[in-house]
Amino acid sequence: MSLLRNLGSGLRSLFRKEQVNRELDEELGEYLEMADDEKMKQGMSRQDALRAVRLEGGSLDGTKEIVRSGGWESVVDTLWRDLLFAARMLRKSPGFTLVAMLTLGLGIGGNTAVFSVMNTVLLRYLPLPNPQQLVFLRLPNAPPDGVSSTGDVDRSFSYPVFEALRKEHAVFSDLMAYVPLAVNKVAVRIGEDPEEAEGDMVSGNFFSGLGVSFTRGRGFALEDETAHASVVVLSYSYWTTRFGRSPSAIGQTIYVKGVPFTVIGVTAQGFYGVEPASSTDFWIPLQNRPELTAWDEEPSLNTLYGTPKWWCIQLIGRLVPGVTESQALAKLDPVFQSAALIGLGTPDPKAKKNILAFSSTQGIQGLRDDYQKPVQILLAMVALVLAIACANVSMLLVARNSTRAREFSVRMALGAGRGRLLRQTLTESFLLVAGGATFGWMFAISGSQALAAWSGMETPFVLDSRVLLFTLAISISCAIIFGLAPLRRAVSVPVGVTLKTSNATAYRDQRSSWSGKVVVASQMALCLVLLVGSGLLVRSLRNYQTLPLGLRVDGLLVFGTDPFSVHSDEEKEHFYQDLLARLREAPGIESATLVSHRLGSGWGWNSVWTIDGVEPQGPFSEIGMSANHVGPDFCHTLGIPILRGRDVTDADTRSAPKVVLVNETFSNRFFPKGDALGHSVGKNKPENSFTVVGVIGDSKYKRVDEKSKPTLYFPFAQNTPIPNMQVELRTHSNPEALIPSVHAVLHGLDPNLPIQKPMTQRAQFDKSYSQARLFARLSIFFGVIAVLLVATGLYGTLAYRVDRRTSEIGVRMALGAQHGQVLWLILRESLLVSGAAILAGVPVAIAGARLMRSMLFGVQPGDMISFLLALFGVILVALTASIIPARRAMRVDPIVALRYE
Amino acid sequence: MPDKSSDVVQGTLDMLVLKTLALEPMHGYGISVRIEQMSKGVFRLNAGSLFLAIQRLQRDGLIDGEWKATENNRRARYYVLTKKGRQRLNSEAREWGRQAAAIARILEAS
Repeated sequence: MSLLRNLGSGLRSLFRKEQVNRELDEELGEYLEMADDEKMKQGMSRQDALRAVRLEGGSLDGTKEIVRSGGWESVVDTLWRDLLFAARMLRKSPGFTLVAMLTLGLGIGGNTAVFSVMNTVLLRYLPLPNPQQLVFLRLPNAPPDGVSSTGDVDRSFSYPVFEALRKEHAVFSDLMAYVPLAVNKVAVRIGEDPEEAEGDMVSGNFFSGLGVSFTRGRGFALEDETAHASVVVLSYSYWTTRFGRSPSAIGQTIYVKGVPFTVIGVTAQGFYGVEPASSTDFWIPLQNRPELTAWDEEPSLNTLYGTPKWWCIQLIGRLVPGVTESQALAKLDPVFQSAALIGLGTPDPKAKKNILAFSSTQGIQGLRDDYQKPVQILLAMVALVLAIACANVSMLLVARNSTRAREFSVRMALGAGRGRLLRQTLTESFLLVAGGATFGWMFAISGSQALAAWSGMETPFVLDSRVLLFTLAISISCAIIFGLAPLRRAVSVPVGVTLKTSNATAYRDQRSSWSGKVVVASQMALCLVLLVGSGLLVRSLRNYQTLPLGLRVDGLLVFGTDPFSVHSDEEKEHFYQDLLARLREAPGIESATLVSHRLGSGWGWNSVWTIDGVEPQGPFSEIGMSANHVGPDFCHTLGIPILRGRDVTDADTRSAPKVVLVNETFSNRFFPKGDALGHSVGKNKPENSFTVVGVIGDSKYKRVDEKSKPTLYFPFAQNTPIPNMQVELRTHSNPEALIPSVHAVLHGLDPNLPIQKPMTQRAQFDKSYSQARLFARLSIFFGVIAVLLVATGLYGTLAYRVDRRTSEIGVRMALGAQHGQVLWLILRESLLVSGAAILAGVPVAIAGARLMRSMLFGVQPGDMISFLLALFGVILVALTASIIPARRAMRVDPIVALRYE
Repeated sequence: MPDKSSDVVQGTLDMLVLKTLALEPMHGYGISVRIEQMSKGVFRLNAGSLFLAIQRLQRDGLIDGEWKATENNRRARYYVLTKKGRQRLNSEAREWGRQAAAIARILEAS
């Protein structure tokens, strides 16, 4: 009741200000008159009475001010006035306002964008209900001996383990299983044209257990899993790109590796599967058909559904609320221990212990380790940019406010409290920051999209509430920092001084010109640190780009194949011979060959082979070898020099004598006399012996930054079983222009065959240092921003100071100073500032560079060239920024300057 | 005239204004004069704090104001105690009595 009345009365004062004021005036007026009357009754003259009353009680206006400030509405009122006033002041200097807001926008936006990466990679949970209850199951000690596993050794489980653990309802409200249909993508056909997509096989409770909601249709039920039903659920983004969000997608048929599936549902927007680094396009229930094995393995007794020997499925569990992770693990352990040994016979007592563990679903698994450090360094870089931006805006404000020093002095002389002035300037800086944050947010939206594209991440970086909060927090701290800085100066100037002095010789003390220089110097020091960082990253990138690969990489197209309908080695050899023959006849293709592990993809085949029947001795790091299956014309097509012997040819078939090519490192390590030709390498069985027929130059295999390793190249049909092969094509023209004719050739062989990940070999190699490229590009971007900000900051400060010293320069020139001396006067100042900045910045840069060591390639943190370039850059910035003000100083006309005074 | 006037004890001004108005409806000046008289000149109010208190009491619904003519034919805003104001005065006076007695006991103890 009284709250309502209070509110009502306050609102009345706000909105019917006139009337309320009039009433207050009248009431107080009456009060004073009565007091006057009283005094006059006591015998004072009217004059004396008036004076006495006002002396005792204060003036009418003072009293009114006190009463008015008593209610809450006065706070709102002043805030509103401050806001209007601030907006008016900012509108009066639109150039300043725009520059300040854009500067802040860049700083805030850069921070927001980088933070959004950090948020996605390190902090964010899956967009599912109660994501904290979800845990990934892990095997820190790898699966038991005697089973096969996947590349993800520490998180692949067997079917029996899954079946045993999912019954533990006291621990898991649901335990979900998922397993990819292939390492990358799998052949899919919708309608006529084959394509590829990323698909997982999942347990029946996958969607219900995770709590995924559906845009269309439904998810799976347990019966779909037990019946291995032929139904498929699409992701929202696949539905969008492939079906244009058509409702008629439900009920359509999709052929996955030639097997028909009916679409029954589309997941809600924003769900990309449980591993956010890659987005899953569709899900099918766990299958037991030989065509659809986990990870696209060759179907055999040990790879089909249900086998205890093939640890291939991944598990994510939803813990029962209230169960802690350690309690859960304690309860699961006995069950896991016995399930892990199912089908493995009696356990060896000396065998390593099987350990079950959980890992958090926060962030992105796998990426966390790779990205944590770089993202932190990036965040530090953008924080530097923001610091420079804030310093810039703060200097702009200082410069502006010192021309407003008179305004402040007048206001203080008229009785404005410091608190009131403080609030006023704070309001102005808050307005600036609000504008800057808006710019920044827009910048961050496009920035984070660009970051996602550059980093090759398939899921977008989400700008969620956490990111928004981060942005608000940094914006508010900016506002406070530079809102207060200029004010301290303005109000610390004694009122009398400013009022007395003229504009041209306005109050300047040593301290304030000092603090300006200190700010510029620290900006330049930060800029130097940033430039050193960018220099190191750019030089690392150059090292990646110019690394000799050992092959002619330009003019090569590479694509993958998955002839899922052919199985025997005989059929496979025939399929690839046929494919090569057809490709060689296609227009534009100069030559063609095969490799089993695509060069530059990061995948490889490592093992140890015997040499002339003897196993080399030593640690794996020394005797470990790489190997690849290759097709005819391997060296010719890829442009690898043949040092001795010959290339692989069409004659090296399955039935021909077994041969092998070795690289130079192999030859040097195991045949230092250079007589490798004619010797044999082998494995396991005597008939698995290959004669060395060629020694070829070293070339990059898995990635561009690897060291050369002894490498063997087997003709693809001779080292069985024959794996799926990648095709390498050489052309004189643009490699990507070959894709349509490749499509045609594949279609002619089998209409279900997609062309997998076609790209130039150059692009494939580039991928192996995409992270380095991303960070180099970003650091250049931030470096350029920093340079621009520092240049404008320095220019602004110098120009302003030249302006203030016009009369001094005029006097100097009138007394005979030469142009050169005046120029030096100005340049000396900026050189001194840069000198101080360099002295301060170099140690920081050295320390910062050390922190970046893990991100560098072929460059030492103390790299001279990077440091020299950065120093040169800073000095260049200093000189460029000083030229214009210095020239202006030189052109000062003494007569005009003196008359002005 | 007393040789020395002091400020009203902190927090008691509202109570004093309520007490004054409990006797009869009064305008601002009247209130200040009455408080000065009743305190024998010890408390002298300045207009600022008086009208601040009036505004506060009015907003809390403890007093009500209306414009009326004074005995000297001036227009002034007269304030009346509301029912709620009377209750508040009673409780505050009781509380003040308790506290004052307690303080007195402490000071008199020797």
